[in-house]
Amino acid sequence: MRGSPLVRALLAFLIIASLGWPLWQLTRPEEAAATAPAPAAAPEKKAIELHLTFTTVPKSFVVRHLENDVWKETAPQADMDKSVTLEYPPEGVDLQFHIEWPADVPVSAMRAQLTDPVGDTHDKSLWGKGTTDDVLTFP
Amino acid sequence: MKTFLLSLAALLAIAASAPAADKIRVSSFSTILTEIAQLVGGDRVDVTGHVKPGIDPHEFEPKPEDLKIIGNAQLVLLSAKHMESYVGKLKEATGTKGNLVEVGDNFASLKMKSEKDPDKVIEDPHWWHSIANTEKAVKVVRDELTKISPADGKTFADNAANYLAKLDELQKWVKSELAKLPRDKRKLVTSHDAFQYFARDNGFTIYPIEGISSADQPSSKKVGDIISVIKSQGVKAIFPESIENPKVLQEITRETGVKTAPELYADGLGEGDASTYIGMYKHNVTTIVDALK
Repeated sequence: MRGSPLVRALLAFLIIASLGWPLWQLTRPEEAAATAPAPAAAPEKKAIELHLTFTTVPKSFVVRHLENDVWKETAPQADMDKSVTLEYPPEGVDLQFHIEWPADVPVSAMRAQLTDPVGDTHDKSLWGKGTTDDVLTFP
Repeated sequence: MKTFLLSLAALLAIAASAPAADKIRVSSFSTILTEIAQLVGGDRVDVTGHVKPGIDPHEFEPKPEDLKIIGNAQLVLLSAKHMESYVGKLKEATGTKGNLVEVGDNFASLKMKSEKDPDKVIEDPHWWHSIANTEKAVKVVRDELTKISPADGKTFADNAANYLAKLDELQKWVKSELAKLPRDKRKLVTSHDAFQYFARDNGFTIYPIEGISSADQPSSKKVGDIISVIKSQGVKAIFPESIENPKVLQEITRETGVKTAPELYADGLGEGDASTYIGMYKHNVTTIVDALK
């Protein structure tokens, strides 16, 4: 074997170093950009029918969905209908009801019938006096 | 005169210690039940909470001093549903004459995979994540205390009624808060399968990352499945209970870009705002709504 040991060591080092780069490229942890997950497509807005029946006519009521007022009445009647457009996923919806009942009346009831986008009707009730804040889940 | 004064002092000492001695001695192995016993029993009970807030009840093992205390207890409260694997040891080692009540056995169980043996299905012990179950637990504790001290029955009934009214208010608050979150976004990716009762009551689906603890490495298939769920369902956040295996968490967040939400209280009460049941529940609901909305 000819040549200086120092030169041979240097050559060996250069060979190993030149292999290091492709090796690191192959084995390094993937630096995938931490992008936020694509949001699931929001469910399409669809028309539903709401039919409310009160045993005592309230002073006022508000129906909310996802923090938005979808029906507000300041002079309601005992029996009311409304077509409402909102996102209606297969998992269903929560509707929040805020009802102001007349003073000095006993506990009163409200029946809510919701006809969903495929035409099925779901029936829920709530009771209260004074001020009622409640959530009904459909279906 | 000296004898008289000594006798008087002894009598006074006995009188001063009498109220403490009269208290019902309760031992509890659940932070939730410790609070219930304190609230329902009021100043008529002396409650020892053996499992402290922040301690993992799955890993807890009673020490000799615990066994000594429960040997003297009149009422021993256990979470049950196999949470306390040492219950047989307690009965055997202490020979307690007190009433050992497995509170969770008073309501129906959900099933979950055993963390130690995933092929085995066991009762889910995390019943307190259903407020309705906690209300039943309050009634169980009220009735057990009344059996021990019928004379204090009215006090226990009043205290229980006050707390039950607060739990009813909590239930209304939870419904109102969760109404802000669309039902199709109610997907919880958690590090520990502890929220099935919460999910059942509130329309959530749970995807547990079993094995995120350092002691239990999840398979790459399991991690891949979770990544697929997060991507396909558009899940916005994951809820690690404790980040003991950061590599797994890093892999999931790197692959999906999903954010890591603040910690949920899965196994009982915590510190600060979460040191009460109502505070713990509000923390969990607020954290979930804020992260997934």
